[in-house]
Amino acid sequence: MLTPYDFQENLQQRAQYIRNRLQAGSPVIGISYDNGIMLLTTRRRGRKVFEIYDRLMLSAIGNQADVETLRVAAIDFAHQEGFVRSPDDVTVQRVVGFALSPALKKAFGDPLTTPFVVRALFAELHDTPERDLFYILNYDGEFTPAERFAVIAGTTGAEDLAIRHLTESLNGTPTFEKAIPVALVAWGIAREAALQEDRDAIPESQARERLREELQEAQLEVGLLERKTLRENRFRLIPPEQLQGYLRHL
Amino acid sequence: MESLQGDFARLLHRWQAQTGMTLPLFATPGKGEGRLLTPPAPTPLDKPPLLEVHGTTVIALKFKGGVLNVGDRRATAANAVMYDRADKIIPLDDYTLIAIAGAYGRAMEVVRYLRHAFKYYARSQLQPMSLEGKLQEVSRVLAANLPNALSGIGLFIPILSAYDPNQDAGRIFFYDASGARFETPDYGAAGSGAERIRGVFDYIAKTKGAFSERPLDEVLREAILLLDIAADLDAATGGIDKVMPTARYVNREGVFEVPEATLRELVQSLRGG
Repeated sequence: MLTPYDFQENLQQRAQYIRNRLQAGSPVIGISYDNGIMLLTTRRRGRKVFEIYDRLMLSAIGNQADVETLRVAAIDFAHQEGFVRSPDDVTVQRVVGFALSPALKKAFGDPLTTPFVVRALFAELHDTPERDLFYILNYDGEFTPAERFAVIAGTTGAEDLAIRHLTESLNGTPTFEKAIPVALVAWGIAREAALQEDRDAIPESQARERLREELQEAQLEVGLLERKTLRENRFRLIPPEQLQGYLRHL
Repeated sequence: MESLQGDFARLLHRWQAQTGMTLPLFATPGKGEGRLLTPPAPTPLDKPPLLEVHGTTVIALKFKGGVLNVGDRRATAANAVMYDRADKIIPLDDYTLIAIAGAYGRAMEVVRYLRHAFKYYARSQLQPMSLEGKLQEVSRVLAANLPNALSGIGLFIPILSAYDPNQDAGRIFFYDASGARFETPDYGAAGSGAERIRGVFDYIAKTKGAFSERPLDEVLREAILLLDIAADLDAATGGIDKVMPTARYVNREGVFEVPEATLRELVQSLRGG
């Protein structure tokens, strides 16, 4: 039966479709610590945490091809900008707000294109942890800045629970050694809460159990941007064997 | 030769017109000796020469496990010292160092391009560019710069030092202005002071063994000494006393800078202090 085109209904259906597909995504926990900024997640196949520019990195949940499109667009913009002007002119605010967000919004609102299935977390390193920035970019082009820590997960409810855990567990700027165990539990909470909707709390033991289960099939991935380093590149992925110590006490 | 003669004839003509003098008879233009007797040309008829800033001496030495680069800090324009804090040894990424001699402005622009090109490749392709790929890219920018170099501005000569993960060793490459690439087994140097100290490299390598077999701290000492000799023999080389030279090295772990305090101690001990 033919019905008149309903703009609002169309958007709602698209949003629902995307949310359903994002729900199973492995959460990403971002924490700013004393000597850097980190993004922690798990992966089953390809890489999950990506270097975008000298002081900018990205991790996302969603369709692999869409994440790839977003990643390459961000890298292209950042390098063009960094070369034409200077590396100091490449900021997360401009990459997300100017280069990416309008394109996402356009794809989401256009009934003739497939929308991006993606929710992305950007982390930008500064000279002090207080000035570090996170940006969460949504499939509809909406973006939200955050400081100290940030979470993307399958549902917004799951993100809220993980953020609550981070707020309670981290007072002040943590060290890397302190931040990792907190991030691991936050990951478990976000994952568990996304899979079982309508929970208003997840006990830590359950979160740990969820992570243990996940790690039987998946691998932990932690990407860093280091504040003080002798290396030319600030970005690096932590080798898995270096994370084993943290997993033993899970 | 054709153009040398042409240049000479023009100079001679102008000189004669301005001074009313003629050259001594034994100075035969075009046979070489005439050039020696040419008086410095007064230039009111010329455009003032473009004062281009040039970096001077850079040295690359292998050590056990990597490559060390040392450069003085001087940049000159004709016989003026323009800058005494120039950094001519620049990391391109975590495995590659470039040392620059010659036109400073053009070289810095090219370095900026190469840094972005290598990093862009690694970030977008999720794997670093191969050493061969990086070397080709340097050749390409030099070849593209050739028209500039021929017109008399923007000529620079880079030395590329890299850690090669396939061979687990440091490697040194040098180029000519047209982009031809050569690999050198143990050491390399470029810039105004380089040619003057060429024999010293040989002497050290033949008396104390190849640089590539010696530890970093020994090789660093030799490099500073070489730079000191270059400064003694070449007026355009800044040397090691007024401002500390730049020293960076690359090995399996990445690119590192030798701290200024270490260099200062080394210079003091070389000076017998």
